[in-house]
Amino acid sequence: MNFPVLFKRLLALFACAGMLTFASARLLAAEHAPAAPAHGETVAAAHDAAGPVGTTAHHGHAETKEPTFLEAALYSYLTAYMFCLSIVVGAFFLIHLHYLFDAGWSVPIRRINEQLASLMPYMGVLSLPILVFGPSIYPWMSIDPATDHALDVKKILFNRPTFIGVIIVCFVLWSFMALRFRRMSVAQDKDGAAQWTHKARFQAAWGIYVLAFTLTVAVFLLMKSLQHQFFSTMYGVYYFAGSMWVTLATVYGIMRILAHRELNGVISKQTIHYIGTLFFAFTVFYAYIHFSQYFLIWNAAIPEETFWYVKREAGSWWEVGLLILFGHFIAPFVVLLRIDTKMNLLVMGPMIAWAWLMHYVDMTFNIMPVLYPNGLHLTLLDPLCWFGMAGFLGFIFWKNFKTAAAFPLKDPRLKEAITHHEVPAPGAAASHH
Amino acid sequence: MSANAKTYGLLAQFDTAAGIFEAAIQVRDAGYRKWDVFTPFPIHGMDDAMGLKNSKVGYFTFCGGFTGFFTGMTMIWFMNKFDYGLVVGGKPLFTPLYAFPVSYELTILLGAFATLGGMLALNRLPKLYNPLFKSERFKKATDDKFFICIEATDPKFAEARAVLEKAGAAAIELVED
Repeated sequence: MNFPVLFKRLLALFACAGMLTFASARLLAAEHAPAAPAHGETVAAAHDAAGPVGTTAHHGHAETKEPTFLEAALYSYLTAYMFCLSIVVGAFFLIHLHYLFDAGWSVPIRRINEQLASLMPYMGVLSLPILVFGPSIYPWMSIDPATDHALDVKKILFNRPTFIGVIIVCFVLWSFMALRFRRMSVAQDKDGAAQWTHKARFQAAWGIYVLAFTLTVAVFLLMKSLQHQFFSTMYGVYYFAGSMWVTLATVYGIMRILAHRELNGVISKQTIHYIGTLFFAFTVFYAYIHFSQYFLIWNAAIPEETFWYVKREAGSWWEVGLLILFGHFIAPFVVLLRIDTKMNLLVMGPMIAWAWLMHYVDMTFNIMPVLYPNGLHLTLLDPLCWFGMAGFLGFIFWKNFKTAAAFPLKDPRLKEAITHHEVPAPGAAASHH
Repeated sequence: MSANAKTYGLLAQFDTAAGIFEAAIQVRDAGYRKWDVFTPFPIHGMDDAMGLKNSKVGYFTFCGGFTGFFTGMTMIWFMNKFDYGLVVGGKPLFTPLYAFPVSYELTILLGAFATLGGMLALNRLPKLYNPLFKSERFKKATDDKFFICIEATDPKFAEARAVLEKAGAAAIELVED
């Protein structure tokens, strides 16, 4: 079976698995009244023998309470969602970078970024369960601000209409911007006019402010507000740093896969090297940001902030934290230090898979301790949600990718990206002189 | 010239960036080791055209950074825990956490010093004198001409003139030490 067929079938399989998970979660949500879960709930029964599902209809988040199936499903969904959003937002940001630096080397991979970022409307649709079932995810949504000081002082932002409104505004804006980038780029494929580059550069100039601001607010609401008492102004850039890291790994992988297919002849050694270098840079940047957040909180030792990490030192969350330290930073740092490893597919292939796993661990570390305070608690729902969503988005990505050229055909800087460092190898030149 | 003047090398002038680029490839492929290219501005791809390997400066940087990091950690451990234990803000006497910012800064500082030092050492700089300064023509290397110099110590120096002529040199002169 050749590669595209295999790829398509895998994606279709993932998509089906995801839809099934989703449907079962919804069905169970409809009958979450106190009922014995013995019949029919094979998924829940298989992985969650720890406790009866749905012993109470109330969705308050008392820490001692066993999570309901709906809650477990929604948290797995949120983790997968934040993972996927990382890559879409990261690719979106890379387009901004490309235009702001007027870069030449990243022209051949820009279409990959554009197609990834164009998944934004789908991410908007996929956020619907989070918006609809908000109270089952975010404890603050079912707390009266009058009884909770931390919520009371933050209720300007932390109230449901604002939550829903901000997320909708974010996705409308991002979708508009991402699709406009792609539209201008595809238009240039036809006429090769420099005006498209100029227009895109102008959009990147204002867009980067919009993205920085909206992404911060969106991450505050989607992820940080799981524990509404927490304070960290770095949280937005923390998510951003991890997102860029996993995005660069993803783009590197897609680029290398397509290098001998759709992108044959346009991926030069320096393009591979530069993406690898950026990947390395964001390995360090993520560590820098996460350490800074931890260090400031540790040093100040204010209970309103420390509780967030104290919670994440309980049970096996301590080991998960160490896994992030060593697996998200130290190991990749050592591996990516040399130039030749950044170019070597035998090293980079496993490294990309590892980066995906580590980013998922990072998202789990941020989201799951709220639901499972005693330690890491993996269920079948986690891989199902992840594969479902990643498969669905991957399927759409691939479908979109084939509707346009695989790289910007007539970008004014394409030629320099392909050729300007090309030098005949020793011996090769002698033949024609 | 003094009586015992030795030959330093052969200096060839080229008039275009493309010309010297092609010439560099030919000199590289002819197997020369002790030679260099002088241009008024950086030419992309010249490293490969000259057959230069990746710079060794990175090793200096790594050693410098490594030294810096452990100097920072050890220094703070020694001062704050071992030699004169001091409680600050109710924190442990030593933990890598609060020692990290200083160690990190020292990593960068010593890494940068080692990079600069390594670069200067590998380039044998500072160097107040170079025989090429004797050449009137060579002054144009900072203006609009491009030069290749093959040094006399290269084992293949005997054929150097022929190689440079074949590569399309606009002018060739012998430079004495």
